[in-house]
Amino acid sequence: MDSRPSDEMLLLAVAECDMGAFRTLYERHAGWLAIRLARRCNDRDLVADAIQDTFVAVWQKPQGFRADGDIAAWLWGIAIRRLVSRLRTHSSVAAVFEHVEAAPAAEDQVLLSVEYGDIGQALARLSPEMRAVIQAVVLDGLSAREAAHLLDVPVSSVKTRLYRAKARLRAALAEGPS
Amino acid sequence: MTGWHLDEDIVRRYVERADSLTEGASVEQHLLSCEPCRARVNAAASVIELSVIDLAAVWDRTRNAVEVPRPSVFERLLRGAGLPAPEARLVAVASAFRGVWLTGVAAVLAFAALAAAMGHARGVWLFLSVAPVVPCLVVASSYDPWLDPALEPELVTPYPVLRLILLRTIAVLALALPAVLLFGLVVPGETAFAWLLPAVGFVALVLAASTWVSPLRSAIVVSCAWLTVVWLLATRSRSPEAVLQGRAQAGFLVLAAASFAIFLLRRRQLRQLRPWR
Repeated sequence: MDSRPSDEMLLLAVAECDMGAFRTLYERHAGWLAIRLARRCNDRDLVADAIQDTFVAVWQKPQGFRADGDIAAWLWGIAIRRLVSRLRTHSSVAAVFEHVEAAPAAEDQVLLSVEYGDIGQALARLSPEMRAVIQAVVLDGLSAREAAHLLDVPVSSVKTRLYRAKARLRAALAEGPS
Repeated sequence: MTGWHLDEDIVRRYVERADSLTEGASVEQHLLSCEPCRARVNAAASVIELSVIDLAAVWDRTRNAVEVPRPSVFERLLRGAGLPAPEARLVAVASAFRGVWLTGVAAVLAFAALAAAMGHARGVWLFLSVAPVVPCLVVASSYDPWLDPALEPELVTPYPVLRLILLRTIAVLALALPAVLLFGLVVPGETAFAWLLPAVGFVALVLAASTWVSPLRSAIVVSCAWLTVVWLLATRSRSPEAVLQGRAQAGFLVLAAASFAIFLLRRRQLRQLRPWR
């Protein structure tokens, strides 16, 4: 066991206005949060702003964390919503969901089938727009309205794309691996 | 906790964004609950330097943002009244708004008003001598550099000092006058309001005098002069009517107008606003 304080202990210290604990919490989480946010938004300045907003919010309301999960998940929930609200005020900047889609290597296929079964292949066959909606709504847990702001499309488009994407996936999974 | 962890290839692909949607989603789900893997992603990002975001700079901004003290109730009130945030801060940092100072002023007034309400003949005199000088003392202390060290850098910055002092004066009066008026309600007769014009006159006089000497010093001189006048009247006529007469009130009005005119004419001298010491 290492003697480093847990995130929960750090958060308690932050509630006592402990700047050192706040710094440690930042160093542990800002990096991966920034990487994950940058995968949803190509504007680095906006991502930096969202990170700042996130930690300012943590400093102001550390008691917002209810001890029913991982602090990392709580932080992510704040961060993605801060990014969305930043995007809302910069409507000219569109978040871009473009993945450099590498052809899955053999070992990746193994990993994917372990983690997701055949859903990986089914997802890979979706159009980029549908994948973006699936990622925002299903994987990131955003509401349709938040996803619409993030992707800069109307809410109705998010809903129809999500509906179609789910139908495609269902059909693909029912078909079985081809 | 599963024993499963991200291997180096997956971490690298994730950081370089060379993964597929499903692999990325899988990684992200794992990161939420796995501290060692988060640390490895952080490390990988800093080594590859794909993270264009300058996290150290973001940290500095974040720390600055949280270290700014939350605006006081009064400052938020000023902002609500339409004053821009930096000006609201300049006005609100005046020492006159610190709770201790206001409490002291309120205590003095309460004492004087209470004495007057108890029916002592001298109580009315006491209130009459204290009430008019309270506003000018509070105003002077709101911009005396000795009481408000924050004012010195403000004076050397190219900020219109005149505007600052007038804003503070108005803000101070908005706080002090209702308090004095409230205590005046328990004082019998016309005395309760007779001090208003003298008070305005003294504030203007202090503003004008502070273009020559320290604001606090001029406020103290004005207060002493007023106390002497009241004392002389009290010993000679035993009636407070003298300062309430129409002619005396008109005199205070003239004093206020003349002082304010001098203040505006000599406003350039405010640059050399002198501290008490």
